[in-house]
Amino acid sequence: MSTVDNLSEGEKLELLQGTLEVLILRSLKLEPNHAYGISQFLQQQSDSEFLVDNGSLYPALQRLLQRKWITPQWKTSPNGRRARYYSLTPAGRRELLRATSKWQRFALAMAKILAPEG
Amino acid sequence: MSQWWSKAERALARRQNLSSELEQEMDAHLQLLIDANLERGMAPEDALIAARRDFGNKTIIQARSYQSWQFPKIESVLQDFRYALRGIVKSPIFSLIVMLTLAVGIGANTAIFSTVYAVLLKPLPFPAGERLVWLAESTGRASGISVTWINFEHWQAENHSFEAMAGFQNADHTLTGRGQATLTHAGLVTSQFFQLTGSRPMLGRLFVAGDDKPQAPATVVVTQSFWAKNLSADPQIVGQTLTLDGTAYTVIGVLARDPAFFLRPVDYYLPIRPSASQVARRDAHGSMRVLALLKSGLTLAAARADLNTIMERLAKVDPGPEDNHQAYAEFLTQQRTGDVKHNLLLLMGSVAMVLILACANIGSLFLVRMTTRVREMAIRSAIGAGRGRLVRQLLTETVLISLLGGTCGVLAAGFALHILQRFGPRDIPRLAEASLSLPVLSFALLLTLAVAFACSIVPVLFSRNVNFSVLLKESTAGSGSSGMGHAVRSGLVVTEIALAVILLFTSGILVRSLWAAETVNPRFDPAHVLALELQLPGSRYKEDASIVDFYGRLETALRAEPGIREVGAVNCPPGGGDCGDWWYSVVGKPTPGRDDVPVTLINVADSAYFRAMQVPLLAGRSPSDEDGPSSPAVAVINQELAKAWWKDARSAVGQHIKLGGPYMKGPVIEIIGVVANVPDLGLDSPPLPQIYLPFLQKVIPGMVVAIQTRGTQESAMGAARKIVASLDPDIPIQSLKPMDQWLGATLTERRFVAALLAVFASLAVILAAIGCYGVLNYWVRSRTQEIAIRMTMGARPVTILWRTAMQAGKLGALGTTIGAACSWATARWLKSLVFGISNHDPITLVGASFLAFAILALAAAVPLWRSTRINLIETLHEI
Repeated sequence: MSTVDNLSEGEKLELLQGTLEVLILRSLKLEPNHAYGISQFLQQQSDSEFLVDNGSLYPALQRLLQRKWITPQWKTSPNGRRARYYSLTPAGRRELLRATSKWQRFALAMAKILAPEG
Repeated sequence: MSQWWSKAERALARRQNLSSELEQEMDAHLQLLIDANLERGMAPEDALIAARRDFGNKTIIQARSYQSWQFPKIESVLQDFRYALRGIVKSPIFSLIVMLTLAVGIGANTAIFSTVYAVLLKPLPFPAGERLVWLAESTGRASGISVTWINFEHWQAENHSFEAMAGFQNADHTLTGRGQATLTHAGLVTSQFFQLTGSRPMLGRLFVAGDDKPQAPATVVVTQSFWAKNLSADPQIVGQTLTLDGTAYTVIGVLARDPAFFLRPVDYYLPIRPSASQVARRDAHGSMRVLALLKSGLTLAAARADLNTIMERLAKVDPGPEDNHQAYAEFLTQQRTGDVKHNLLLLMGSVAMVLILACANIGSLFLVRMTTRVREMAIRSAIGAGRGRLVRQLLTETVLISLLGGTCGVLAAGFALHILQRFGPRDIPRLAEASLSLPVLSFALLLTLAVAFACSIVPVLFSRNVNFSVLLKESTAGSGSSGMGHAVRSGLVVTEIALAVILLFTSGILVRSLWAAETVNPRFDPAHVLALELQLPGSRYKEDASIVDFYGRLETALRAEPGIREVGAVNCPPGGGDCGDWWYSVVGKPTPGRDDVPVTLINVADSAYFRAMQVPLLAGRSPSDEDGPSSPAVAVINQELAKAWWKDARSAVGQHIKLGGPYMKGPVIEIIGVVANVPDLGLDSPPLPQIYLPFLQKVIPGMVVAIQTRGTQESAMGAARKIVASLDPDIPIQSLKPMDQWLGATLTERRFVAALLAVFASLAVILAAIGCYGVLNYWVRSRTQEIAIRMTMGARPVTILWRTAMQAGKLGALGTTIGAACSWATARWLKSLVFGISNHDPITLVGASFLAFAILALAAAVPLWRSTRINLIETLHEI
């Protein structure tokens, strides 16, 4: 499942399996957001290293909805457009905590191994 | 089912909701992107285009979003279903051909399977039917002969292998005192018979241990149908008496359900009563066989050994002429179906081949359709359908059309089964029980699904090798043929031809055997002879003199009829089956060893019989009225017996034969004449040695009176009935029919099998012809352009024709060769069924191969002809 835009192939980072869901949860931690907003957030926060493809984003959102970690609501955006806003459920928050610590340990372990010798 | 449906409905409703929600969400998303682009200062159209490009393919995103909800499964199945239905309706001729082919294939298989199931597979309707064993005695020469009463009693008391045992045999008695005298059929059984067959009384009781003792009162248990039909369903019947052969039997019970153990209708059951000699002598045979229930966990071999130990011990303590007799034991299922099994399996195998042919045809039809639909597939693949999805759709379509065809097939099977039962031989046990029962229907369903998968394998494999995007660029529908498609199609032609050869050969062998049997010269003229079968009631015809007197008066009265030329009586008419055989030896020839004593059929004929039947007398004379009880014992033998011992018929006359052989008691009789062989067991059995004893020296109450007629048989029949009734109204006529019906009856099973096989072979030929035509036609069509180019380059039509014909010929030759080889290899299966020809009959094989090749040639003719009639200009324009 490629989550990187095909056009910038080779330069952008490929998301690891299962990471997109955590990133979406993280993006909703502070405030509810819509799909466009989530993809903007992820792109900005990663300094454009991650370019989220809608073909992956939407299915990921559906999966999160199915697990009841996020809940949707139609709201009007600040610039007057109606959009579907997603917010974290309590279960979603717990999942975010669990997944964050898991990914941090994972990243740390990776870093330890890959760190230059000496 | 309804629950499942409402679940699916709910899921679909949710899916509808989700779909509109997602649609709106994505629209909003797009709007936000456009807004952002506009903010960056793009022109409105550019902003829209850029936003759409950035957003990506909405349909794919939508599809992938659904996937997480598991809708696609149900939904795409429904969609496939809709597409499939549409496909079926859109090409009605294609669908009709496929469904008809399937209906024929599945119908024939289901019908045959239903008989196989009823006759061979269905458990016997008795408790623990699979453990029921048929016991009899066997010698070195004959197996399955009757069990003597003393042996039975010892087996019953001393065995360690059986839970219960019951003797049984058939008998016919004349019922009098209740309206007209009628011939009735009895089952003679010992007391445990009802327990073994799981029978219960509806009224009164069944036999108990004491009922078969000689001094016990005469009792009878009637079947429900006899009670209803002949005893007017009298609820007070228990305690009343029935007069059978002049003896009064007290009715003690009515059976709730006839166990249908005897393979003929039974009116009532009587206890077996051994005769005085049977109680005294261990070698006094009646016609009793034994039914026994094997203890669970024991093998048949162990049980056989157990009984044989008893036999060995008896041979020591009670020695006699039958000390070498052993116990014969076979499972009832095996005993019952052993003979038919072979025929039914042969039919099943043949009908399976018809189905394979049907599958091959349908597969090839699907393949052709696939190539014409390849562009549709290519387009669908281009707009995002995965290969798996395409394959699944193909499968759905095949399964759906197969199910439709299978349903038609089951309906056809119901009809075919009706015909089978109506015209099938009566002596196939349980054929009447065959029905479209649950196991049979499950078989049909499984078969249908198997066919569906078998048929779709070819197109699916084919689709795997197709590069859709390449196909999309090509123009003509026919260009989808790949090397693999070609190989598959050639394989289909070869297979179909080979199968056609095998079926043609098999049916050819059987039809020729039947022909040989039907045209056997019976050595007498059965066309103008009536057979009047009588059984004089033993109660009133105890003395030999009274029997001789009755038959004498009957023959005299019959001869006086103007429409009757000659009358003579015999015990066992041609085609009457095995009426008994016995050991014999020839006086003056070397004494045979104990185990090599020859056996001959024993028959009884009166002085006029050979004249009435016009059986040629080869030497000597017929018995005369002087060969009575007080004159020397004489006999007429048949040619087969004479041939075995003397160089010609003439030298046999005056020689002596000792009945019973050198080791048993028996009279020495002089041979006074030799007659031609007549088919004793049936037209399709080889002649057996036979001795005819004169009626006056061996008086028996049951005779078949042969009546040679002069005028119509109907008037003679009427006269015969009237004369019998006028002589003694209490004698029932067992049967009165033309003599050739006795003979014809022996061929019913052979006719049945041969006719069915001929039908299957015809189906195979038709299917093969259609299949070959389809493939070759397609072949020529897909080569139209190539042929057109060749012809413009100067190739003559003959060259084109020759080339195509060679291709078809090669396939045909390969197919016939393979088919012939397989036929030759499987011919040993036919060994027991052939008559008059060899099972490896080269003429039939060549004929079958030739016929199959001719079918291919015929099927190829139209496409070949068409290949030379190509419109060059039009075709070349298309390139």
